[in-house]
Amino acid sequence: MAPPVPLLSAISVTKAYAGVPALSGASLVIAPGEIHALMGENGAGKSTLIKILAGVVAPDTAEITVNGERVGIDSTKAAYRLGLRFIHQEFNVVPTLSVAENIFMGRRYPRRAGLFVDWKVLNREAQRALDRLGIDHIDPRQNLGTLSLGDQMLVRISAALLDDAKLYVMDEPTAALTRDESERLFRVLREIRASGSSVLYVSHRLDEIMALCDKATVLRDGRSIDSGALTNITHDDLVALMIGRKVEEAYPKATAEPRETTVFAAAGLATAGLNPVSLSLREGEVLGIAGLSGSGQGELIRAIFGDAKVTAGTMTLSSSPYTPSSPASAWQSGVAYVPRERRAEGLVMRRPIFENITLAHLKRQSRAGTWLAPNREKRLAAELGANMRLKAVGPAQDVLELSGGNQQKVVFAKAVAGNPRLLLLEEPTRGVDVGAKFDIYSIVRELTAKGAAVILVSSDLPELIGISDRIAVMRRGEITTIVDAAGLREDDLINLCYGRAPGMVA
Amino acid sequence: MQLFIRRYGTLIGFVAILVFFSAMLPGTFPTARNWLNITQQVSMLMVVAAGMTIVMVMGDFDLSVGSAASLAGIVAALMMAAGQPIWAAVAVALVVGLLGGAFNGAMVSLVGILPFIATLATMTMFSGLAFVVSGGKTISGRAIPEDFGNFARGGIPLGEWGGVAISLPNLSIIAIVVVLAVWVLLEQTTYGRRLYAIGGNMEAAHLSGIAVKRLRLIAFSLTGLAAAAGGLMYASRVASANPVQGSGLMLNAIAAVFLGTTMSRHGEPRILATVVGVIVLGVLDNGLTQMSVDSYVRQVLVGALILVAVAASSLSQRRR
Repeated sequence: MAPPVPLLSAISVTKAYAGVPALSGASLVIAPGEIHALMGENGAGKSTLIKILAGVVAPDTAEITVNGERVGIDSTKAAYRLGLRFIHQEFNVVPTLSVAENIFMGRRYPRRAGLFVDWKVLNREAQRALDRLGIDHIDPRQNLGTLSLGDQMLVRISAALLDDAKLYVMDEPTAALTRDESERLFRVLREIRASGSSVLYVSHRLDEIMALCDKATVLRDGRSIDSGALTNITHDDLVALMIGRKVEEAYPKATAEPRETTVFAAAGLATAGLNPVSLSLREGEVLGIAGLSGSGQGELIRAIFGDAKVTAGTMTLSSSPYTPSSPASAWQSGVAYVPRERRAEGLVMRRPIFENITLAHLKRQSRAGTWLAPNREKRLAAELGANMRLKAVGPAQDVLELSGGNQQKVVFAKAVAGNPRLLLLEEPTRGVDVGAKFDIYSIVRELTAKGAAVILVSSDLPELIGISDRIAVMRRGEITTIVDAAGLREDDLINLCYGRAPGMVA
Repeated sequence: MQLFIRRYGTLIGFVAILVFFSAMLPGTFPTARNWLNITQQVSMLMVVAAGMTIVMVMGDFDLSVGSAASLAGIVAALMMAAGQPIWAAVAVALVVGLLGGAFNGAMVSLVGILPFIATLATMTMFSGLAFVVSGGKTISGRAIPEDFGNFARGGIPLGEWGGVAISLPNLSIIAIVVVLAVWVLLEQTTYGRRLYAIGGNMEAAHLSGIAVKRLRLIAFSLTGLAAAAGGLMYASRVASANPVQGSGLMLNAIAAVFLGTTMSRHGEPRILATVVGVIVLGVLDNGLTQMSVDSYVRQVLVGALILVAVAASSLSQRRR
């Protein structure tokens, strides 16, 4: 029997940017009715391959077929006509329009008398699209901008599911979703598979891929290393395939116990979105913050970083009063911050690596605080880069040209360049591949060994448990409990996040 | 190759323009005297465009520079007409420009109004003020001290060239000094680095500890100061001041900066690129005038040139 005609095949895809190869002969074959994982480290070529399929980037060479027919995808319109739908990490949505309008963007609005927009029908159809994902907490008439990032992603996904397509390409769709939301999404993806359409699923979360996907294609250095069914393969095998070597441990071991001296303490700290919170950190300690998204983690970090108006409470840093009036004064006091969104909040994408790193330390990295000393800055950047295995042409390369994991290392380099006493981390490894994750955890360990304290906000529970000494659980803007991380089980932590006693069935 | 055309297309076009005018006007265009003349003709625009570059580095712009220039000229002329010494008149006019710019900066950074709207409003306000204080009249003739007008006519003698005495005009010297100052500010100081960071990503700049509000306010103040200097140079050159004489400066200054952005790596404004932009506009003006091309035709050509330059650079950027 002849093998079935693939839904989509892309063979021998090559692409180089300014002479630097991003893809050198990658291949991807997707059968109808399957959920296919596309895996690989950042910089392996996943994004480039997807952009080629989306018609955003022109390949140097490629043989692409859809349903067995040779096609050329030279524009996003062509991709759309071929039945390909793309759901990206970066949302392309209009926050000032309603949910329904966003869902119908690029489509014909339902009309009355061929002239006036029929808002009733529009909202009803939008509601139906949301219903398909089991979303009942979003009103289609609401402005999209008022929704959380996770909810915005759900809206994007519902929009893509509105008309029947052949292939849905999802790039890290669960990055901003809660567990429940992710589960609902997976249910829909399985429905799609049952209906004969396919999904190309890109994620760094191996557990998700193992649970959801049928087949996987692994890219490394622009080549497809392996492709096959996800049965009979272990988590560790996949990791080894992606990074090309075996990984012994996911998390580097702490080299020293936290010391007795308190670095940072907050007593009754409150802001508009934060109920009074008290906590303290010792030298070398990592305090994890767990909780459902929007439970006040961001507000807590912003309060400590001087980016929110503190309405009550006090903070101390190394036993002296700490009252940051702005991020600038936080940096000056030795508090560093790795923000949640590296592109939007962490980096100036079109500037060189070294400028990004010294941006928060220009006073000290210049002559008399006024005159730029680019050579000194580059030396510092090269030193920090080498220490955290930053893959770049040199310190003068633009951040824009780096892969996601390396971009995140630049954000970290900026944070540690001033030897901070307190480091605030928000989702430090989101969208970062396994190899770079380990490097980033090593940076954290190195810093704590020197006596710094770290507050880690993360929705990645294994990471929280693996890196933290203690974990504070936040719920509705306050800390409900603080537990030791050692020996803590993931489902216990989930129960705590939902306000249930540990040990209950989730 | 594509990148080469994008980065250097404007420069290539500039050289083509030079070759064209040299061929058409061999006797008058490629002469030292004409070139020194061009540097004087563009000096006011150069100073205003240099100031404009400072705010455009942050991704903002200032529509009020032309009105601010007119207002500064009027203020200085009125003070001189009232018998005040030249230095006092100049100083007060510069302070007026600085304060006007600071007002723009306050509206944009402290109140949070979009630069387009804030400076559109102040453009009208400054222009109205210039009419109010001057009563709508041109201040000229004996009201203006001779020394003030003589300054623009003077220069540093450079010797003889082809039997004609030539000199570097004072106004050109001022333009060079201002460009150098802005170059040092933007390219050599932490202040300039921070402005570029704000232009690249304001939120990241804020979270990296940059005092975005204060820096924006200072940048707009400097742009206002440069606008006032440009207005004073203009007033000195024509030895008079009227409430609309700076009005052409704003669009040309923005055009010059945009022309310059076609030459930088990511399309960000650079002061030396702005200088090329100003000179391109000045040379076109000079050459076409010498070829007695009608001034309205000149406007069409200059507008078309800006469109071509910016379109060429954005088209080649679109699909990677």
